[in-house]
This record gives sequence, C-alpha cells and structure tokens, in this order.
Amino acid sequence: MLNEERVILMTHMASYEAGEGKKNVKIGNYFRSDYISVQVLKSLICGTIAFAIVFALYIFYDFEMFMQELYKMDLITFAKDVLICYAATVAGYGVLTYIICTYRYARAKNSLKRYYHNLKKLNSSYGGGASGKSAGGRK
Amino acid sequence: MTGLLEIKEKIKSFYGKYETFILPVVKFLLAFIVLNTLNGKMGYMTKLDNVAIVLIVALMCSFLPTNCIVLFGTVFSLLHMYALSLEVALVGLCVFLLMFLLYFRFSPGDSLLVILTPLLCAWKIPYVIPIAAGLVCAPTAVISVGCGVTVHYLLQTVITSGPAVKTMADSETTAKLRLIVDGLVKNREMLVMIAAFAVTVMVVYLIRRLSIDYAWTIAMVAGAMADIVILLIGDLLYDINISILGALLGSVLALAVAKVLEFFRFCVDYSRTEKVQFEDDEYYYYVKAVPKMMVAAPTKTVKKINAQRSRVSERSVTTERTGGRRSGAPVRSQRAGSGYKSRERSITYGSADGDPDLEIQPEDYEE
Repeated sequence: MLNEERVILMTHMASYEAGEGKKNVKIGNYFRSDYISVQVLKSLICGTIAFAIVFALYIFYDFEMFMQELYKMDLITFAKDVLICYAATVAGYGVLTYIICTYRYARAKNSLKRYYHNLKKLNSSYGGGASGKSAGGRK
Repeated sequence: MTGLLEIKEKIKSFYGKYETFILPVVKFLLAFIVLNTLNGKMGYMTKLDNVAIVLIVALMCSFLPTNCIVLFGTVFSLLHMYALSLEVALVGLCVFLLMFLLYFRFSPGDSLLVILTPLLCAWKIPYVIPIAAGLVCAPTAVISVGCGVTVHYLLQTVITSGPAVKTMADSETTAKLRLIVDGLVKNREMLVMIAAFAVTVMVVYLIRRLSIDYAWTIAMVAGAMADIVILLIGDLLYDINISILGALLGSVLALAVAKVLEFFRFCVDYSRTEKVQFEDDEYYYYVKAVPKMMVAAPTKTVKKINAQRSRVSERSVTTERTGGRRSGAPVRSQRAGSGYKSRERSITYGSADGDPDLEIQPEDYEE
C-alpha cells in the first residue's frame, strides 16, 4: 500500500535536494569559520581587483593632467591616500561579506537540520534503522 | 472569478506538464529579444547584426542556464562598443566587471532583473520592474534593479555619444574615455531613477509583508505613488526632463502587471480570514489564517467501453472525475468551460469501493 505521508515527505526532500539543498549541502560541508574565511578571502581579492579597476579609470580619466601633476605632488602622501581608500573599500566589503556569509551559514545549517530531521522521520516510518532502503541511500 | 481561477489552474497544470519544453522556449525568446534589441539599438558591429548569429546564440541560451543570457548580452554589447571604439569597450568592461565582482558573486539568481530592467527601459516601460521585484523578490533586488538601470544608462550613453566618438581621432584616447565616464557618472537622470526604483522596491516589499488585508494591492499602489513622487522631486531638483505622463502611464501598466502577478502568486480570500488564539507552555499565539482561493481544474476523460457490441454500443459511457470526487456515485457531467452548471446527467459505472479506474467488461452487461 502507498503511504501518502511518506510519499509527500520524500517528494519534499527530493525537491529540496535538487534545488536549494544542493547549495546548502555545499555550505554545510564547511565549518563555520572555514566557510566565512574563504568567502571573506574571495571578497578581499574581488575588492582589490574592483579597486584597481576604479583607480585605473581615475588615472586614465585625466591622464595628461595626472602626468603633469605627478612631478609636483607629494608621492608619499598620494600613496598614503590611495592606500587608505583601498583599505577602507576592501575592509568595508570584507565586513559586508562577513555579515552576509554569517547569515547564510546560519540559514543553511537550519535548513539542513530540518532536512535531516525529515530524513530521520522517513527512516522511522520504515520501521527504524533496519531498512535504510530510502533514507540510507539519500544520505 | 471562478472562471479565472480555473484558467489559472489549467495554466499551472499545463506548465507542470510541459515545463521541460516551455522553459527553453521562454529562454530562447528572451535571449532572442534581448540580442535583437541590442543589435537594433547599437548595431556598430555589422557582423553581429545578423539574424542567423542571433538565432544560434538564442538557441544556445535556451538550454544553458539563465545567467548565460546575461553573459551573451554582455559580450554582444561589449563587441558593439569595441566596434565603436576600444576605449568605450574598456569603460563598458570595467562597469560590467565591477558589477560582477562586487555584487553578482553573492546573488547570481537575480541576474534576470539585470536583463529585464534595461530591456524594459529601452521599451520605455521600466516602472514595471521595481513593483514586480518588490512583490516577488527579496530586498536585495534593490541592487539588481540599480545595476540594471546602470546598464541601461551605460548603453544609452554609448549610443548618444556614438557619433561624437566616431568623429574623434584615434589619438584622443582620454577624451573618448572621459566622454563615456562623464556621461555615466554625471548622469543625474540615472541617479534619480536608481533612487526612485530603490525606494519603490523597498516600499513594495515592506508593505506586502505586513499582516494587513489587501497588503499586496496596497503595496503596489504605494510603490507606484512613491516612484512617481520621487521622480517628480528629482525632476524639480535636477531638471532632468523625465516624462511625467510617461511615468503615470507606465505606473498604470505596472499596476496591471502587478495585479496579474498577485493573481498567480498571492490569490487569497480575505472574506474567509480566520483569527485564532491559543497557547502552549511557553507562548501565546495570535494566528491570522487567510485561505487561498482555489478551484480544482476540471478534467474530462471519455471511456468508450465497446463500440461494436449491439446493446452497449448504443450508449457511450462517460466517466468523469473532478478533484476529490469519488466515482462510486453518479456524477454530473462536466464540459470544459461549463463548470458545475451543467445539468446534463450521464451514466457512470463505478465499483462499490469507489475505484475510479475500474474497467467494465462488455460481458458484464450481457449477463
């Protein structure tokens, strides 16, 4: 006989595995600190490239003027200003990434917890741990 | 309303049945329209302005992920910019790279908004986007819509500066670069549009999540009003020549589209709202439950039991099933479109336990 509740549960779980679950399982494979560190590191690299692009555009926007000013300006002060801007940009982007990734990790973990709870429920509906014909295969 | 709900159910079941074919067709059409619009508006690279190429790329997009439409759209626009001038293409590449590095790394799912926003801006009906995004997407859609507006104004700047760039000499590299950067950064109209759309998305999103009756309708009207007000203020402050009549008509169209979206995503019956209150060991619960409007899509199955045998062949036996109805008892005949109103009765044979799939053998009648 078909067990309607079991079928519904399995359908929900299969749909989760095919969609959102795939992403969440990837996140869940990391420890929290590892996941956030990797993402922040990626953001630092992306932020650096983005800053370089904007800086290059700024230089080339008025390149002739910049070259004329280059000999008059205090290069150390200029470099300091650029570095401060770079640090502020990258740090701001890093902090934003940290907040977003912390939230995402917590959400993924909660979602996976619900998924594993359903998995247990499904397993128990087959009579406990004896028959892992569906639940065991899924994991 | 019942008729509309039936149509909705039919559309849903049709989509569910043929999703494998419908999605690629929609993606193909979207890619085709986007690339054709790009070629029509820019068209600096004559080799790209070829229906065969557009068709091939659109066909590729139909079975690739949706983000590939964004990718191909970007490549097409960059190639057109390159045909105009290398400097223009470099500025375009920088803008696209900045968007990709800073935002789309986090939210690749919203990339559809980045295609649709410039497309609708080009068709002069961009006001649909912020209201629809507020209704359907998360608040992060603000950034996607902002990126879409930026892309539109980048392309617009390239198109308007095109004749000037063509007349410039090859050595005037920085002048070309400055022309495009200025056209983008000092574009007040773009800033006003981004601000108006951002506020609209947030207003619509915040109101539609409130626990009030007709939240979606209130949200879309409030969003449209906020959009128009901010555009008016922007127009007064910066004298940017936004067509107010166009904005009003666009907002009315946006409301119509939003109502269609509401019908498919949030069709509820507020007259049957239930408010219940209960408690457990830790909390008191005040629950408001609003039922969804639903109608089972009518389905019709005709079974011909035996067309050749004499006694039974004179009668065609019709078995019909609707959602939840057991076939053990005689049912009213339902014709497509006639709903439950038909009074015509048909002969139905069913098993005692109500098994609807029971097949009746001709021998049973002869006995």
